[in-house]
Amino acid sequence: MKGEAGWYKHAVIYQVHVRTFSDANDDGIGDFPGLAQRLEYLQDLGVNAIWLMPFFPSPLRDDGYDISDYKSVHPSYGTLEDFKKFLSIAHERGIRVIIEMILNHTSDQHPWFQESRSSLDNPKRDWYVWSDTDSKYRGTRIIFLDTEMSNWAWDPISKSYYWHRFFSHQPDLNYDNPAVREEMWQVMKFWLELGVDGFRLDAVPYLIEREGTNCENLPETHAIIRDLRKRIDEQFPGVMLLAEANQWPADLRPYFGDGDEFHMAFHFPLMPRMFMGVRLEDRKPITEILQQTPEIPAACQWCLFLRNHDELTLEMVTDVERDYMYDIYAHDKVMRLNLGIRRRLAPLLDNDRRRIELMNGMLMSLPGTPIIYYGDEIGMGDNIYLGDRNGVRTPMQWNGGWNGGFSAADPERLYSPPILNPVYGYQAVNVLSQKRSPHSLLSWMRHIIEIRRSNPVFGSGSIEFLYPANHRILAYVRQLGKETILVVNNLSSAAQAVELDLRQYKGNILIEMFGRNIFPRIGDLPYLLTMGPYQFYWFRLRRI
Amino acid sequence: MREIIVNELTQAFQQMARDIAHYLPRLIVMLIIALIGWVIAYLLKLLVRSLLRLTKFSKLSENSGAAQLLHQAALPSSTELASRFVFWVAWVGFVLLGVSVLGIAGLQEYISKFFFFLPRLFAACVIFFFGLVAASFFSRAALLTAVNANFRSPRMLSLAVRFIIVTFSLSMTFEVLGVAEQTMLIAFATVFGAAMLGLAIAFGLGGQDLARKFLERKFTRQNREEREDELSPL
Amino acid sequence: MAEENLLTDDFLRQLINIGEVDIVVGLSTHNNARTIQPVIAAIQAGILKCFPRERVAIINADGGSQDDTIEQVKNASIDDLRRGSKVYALRTLHSISVQYGRIPDPRRALQTIFSGADLLRARTCVIVSPETTTIEPDWLQRLARPAYHDNFDLVCPIYQRQKFEGALVRNLLYPMTRSIYGSRIREPYGSEFAISGRLVSDFLSNGIIDQDWGRMGPEISVTIFALTGKYRVCQSSLGARPPSSPGTHDMVTAVRRTVGALFASLDGNFPFWSSLRESQPVPTIGTASALPDDTVRINRKRLLDMFANGVAQIEPVLSSILSPSLLSELRRIAALDVDNFDYPEELWTRTVFEFAASYHKSTINRDHIIQALVPLYRGRSLTFVIENRDGSEEEIERREESLCANFERLKPFLLEIWAERK
Repeated sequence: MKGEAGWYKHAVIYQVHVRTFSDANDDGIGDFPGLAQRLEYLQDLGVNAIWLMPFFPSPLRDDGYDISDYKSVHPSYGTLEDFKKFLSIAHERGIRVIIEMILNHTSDQHPWFQESRSSLDNPKRDWYVWSDTDSKYRGTRIIFLDTEMSNWAWDPISKSYYWHRFFSHQPDLNYDNPAVREEMWQVMKFWLELGVDGFRLDAVPYLIEREGTNCENLPETHAIIRDLRKRIDEQFPGVMLLAEANQWPADLRPYFGDGDEFHMAFHFPLMPRMFMGVRLEDRKPITEILQQTPEIPAACQWCLFLRNHDELTLEMVTDVERDYMYDIYAHDKVMRLNLGIRRRLAPLLDNDRRRIELMNGMLMSLPGTPIIYYGDEIGMGDNIYLGDRNGVRTPMQWNGGWNGGFSAADPERLYSPPILNPVYGYQAVNVLSQKRSPHSLLSWMRHIIEIRRSNPVFGSGSIEFLYPANHRILAYVRQLGKETILVVNNLSSAAQAVELDLRQYKGNILIEMFGRNIFPRIGDLPYLLTMGPYQFYWFRLRRI
Repeated sequence: MREIIVNELTQAFQQMARDIAHYLPRLIVMLIIALIGWVIAYLLKLLVRSLLRLTKFSKLSENSGAAQLLHQAALPSSTELASRFVFWVAWVGFVLLGVSVLGIAGLQEYISKFFFFLPRLFAACVIFFFGLVAASFFSRAALLTAVNANFRSPRMLSLAVRFIIVTFSLSMTFEVLGVAEQTMLIAFATVFGAAMLGLAIAFGLGGQDLARKFLERKFTRQNREEREDELSPL
Repeated sequence: MAEENLLTDDFLRQLINIGEVDIVVGLSTHNNARTIQPVIAAIQAGILKCFPRERVAIINADGGSQDDTIEQVKNASIDDLRRGSKVYALRTLHSISVQYGRIPDPRRALQTIFSGADLLRARTCVIVSPETTTIEPDWLQRLARPAYHDNFDLVCPIYQRQKFEGALVRNLLYPMTRSIYGSRIREPYGSEFAISGRLVSDFLSNGIIDQDWGRMGPEISVTIFALTGKYRVCQSSLGARPPSSPGTHDMVTAVRRTVGALFASLDGNFPFWSSLRESQPVPTIGTASALPDDTVRINRKRLLDMFANGVAQIEPVLSSILSPSLLSELRRIAALDVDNFDYPEELWTRTVFEFAASYHKSTINRDHIIQALVPLYRGRSLTFVIENRDGSEEEIERREESLCANFERLKPFLLEIWAERK
């Protein structure tokens, strides 16, 4: 497994927080032994990579993204040994493990910061970004708009300001300091030596600050990434770096470098547009953002996702689009947070099975590596009243029994209350009941993942959009060598007829990939398809 | 001699009585036919009158201007005239039929000619009537168009249109009747041709300026004076 | 149901590709390349500004344009194929064109647009003229919003008029529509209006456009159909209409399409209008005001000549239409000089009503009756000019009201002569 180049292009990644998945020691909090027990489920689902959300020791004021120790495991989730065991079992089952590495900042409880703030002479003083005033780097946008007023926070101990792009309890590390860069490399190396297969580098655009800029995506940041990548390639070939950078595609392109920076990056702007396209019943938002997406080096890959642990971000949309998304998807203002919408996939799509399938169909067939957020494969719901983004981080629902099978602890002891309502509650939506039905969402997800993984075209192939006159139809052709797949998606809630210009594929028979039935041969005339509401087709083209 | 005269006279009177006795039944038959014919003609007249009233023939004749013509000539209305015409034609027909019973030689031919003439007479009446209708319609249309287009002499144009159509329908009528066909044809062609030639000369030579101005008005923009006239209606 | 035989295969295919929409904007064109660009730009801007989320399609019914009118309309589309477009839109905007024939036919144009809107199940259809170069993006909202959001079935325009503009509307169409159909619609014949999907469907299925009045004046027939049915009608203030270029007033055509259609509608709708006693105001959105400067110069002498000459020349025709007393009055005023000329309101009202009654009875050919009205209208428009030359906006409005009051007051007269035998 290790060292296989480009494995990430054919991966189907499962994003999970160890805390939410399964509790083995009945303390109400998920842990690594619990997660290890559930690896069989994930293998059965068909995913071949897991992205673990932060599990390092942390005061947990930002769900683990505020780190107080980079080389350990939070005691709630187990020990380092537990992690190693989990890693080993995952690899045995053919599942790679990607972990979070928060480079940009630490918790203010981290010993580094405690030292740094203690005095102006402390050796680690320069490990963070300090200033006597809060007027430096003016104009830099605030990311957590709902809670933070400024990117500077006053430290009463050292009587100066420190820079933080996120919460005020997350001071930014100073990457102009070589010691910081070296230490962070050592942190990464620590985990690489344990055997992790990749890192999701959180908040990479913000590593470096410079006056007169917006303090994002600066050339120095790229230099740091290149250096990290070089070391990884030399010492740990096959390890993947995934960039978390919420930027426009054109601004994201530099993070791939010439194939010497990140292997993968999230395509943030595409995701809200997929939701927009389905509600507008118009492919325009989707095709236009992909038209604006630049070419990336051959060894690189976009990461696609529908939902994740954060709010559905609306930073990379226009005001008109944002207002539309708010009105359509977050009519209740409680759902809105930080220029985004904090809801899960199924509630966003009104629990409409057809739309859920359609969105997953696009996720699996558009160019990029798909990421499934834990629970979305069974259509879990959310709890918007839990504060911050905790509503989408509720316990995994395994069965209809005690605590949904997540933990044997007292329900009051759980790290988060489970979803209880009659529609999305664990008695209605859970793995066990869906496993029993071949027609459940879970069964369907297994099937589509299987098809996806068995066709390298999806991971590595080119894409060419067709632009049928019916704007409700999103159609494209994926090609890799001699393999050609036609994907046609009906974004409309009504049946549609569409004529596709497939003359360049004349003579091919279409084989529908789910049912494997044959469709008429392509001729000179436009190829007429009629599609049901939210239906999609994957056709393999065969010339016989 | 006296006896010869008396004998001759007696023979002559006897011959006359024989002739009268010979023709009297035919005369009686003729009178009966005429009487029956009168009744039938009268019924026909009533029928035609009702039909014409139902189909609003009088309105058509008013529209055509025929009604006005009749009124000016102190003639009855067109419906009445038509029904009376039908009456007389029918009755004359029956009378002639009765006369043919008399067996007077030479009359048969004229009687049959009369009956052959009837359809042509009917066709001629129809042609002339509709000619009047068309003349009235188109002359009125020409008048209105000319007035609304600010032509200088709309009446003249209207009269010209009426004249041409009436002349044309008259010549067709006479042709159908077979009365002075050639004369009417030549007369029509002469008049029509002369009118056209006259107009051509007028436009080409005598009315150069008028023709030029006319053409300018038709094919170039309206002059400033006229631009100022028209309010925007909508 | 929509008129299927109007739809060419190509048009139908385009409609299929568009799918259901919320709003259709209809344009009827014929060689409008000179004027259509600002109209299209305003429509597009109006859609993006006022209805960014709605599904909108522009349908152009073209009567055989030989210039690039059609191309310009099609270029208004906003879709993912037109890359590099500087115009941002949330969703695709289709702008399609269909040639319904080789010569312009307002009836077929409207029928084509309505059929398209009906098949696309549009909630609202807005008709815009390709010559209204003064159109602003907001016009779309002012027309469409009452129909789209407030459930009105017909939204008629109110234009900002210069003093002497719209003389036929002010002197005949408005007062007569008001008195006959009981509704105070200022512009019953508007180049721009909005209509609900429900009314479009009913209008098509009732075959109004195939009746006499529908054939003659399709636009005004929409208004009349709405007024005589259980439909909610309102009017909305727009802006100024562009000044007409000289020599474009085909008076007879204008009168045919409006007055002809209005007269023709009276027969079939007699049970409705004969029982109405008074007019009702119509909800009005926005306020209209007159345009300040009126630079139109009117040659009054010539207007008078046209009237007097007309009366004299077509007197035999008028005698078949008008009563002897009215005709004699016309002769009297035709003899007046321009400084003393006056075609009083009451006389004008009676003139119009006698024309309407004669039209109903077809005393002569109906089209000739309409044509015969034109010289008399010129006389009335002369009085209109004289009266309003120095008048303020309020005074003009007052006289307008007075004329309308005459029309309403004399409606029993119309009913009386309507029933008389000729």
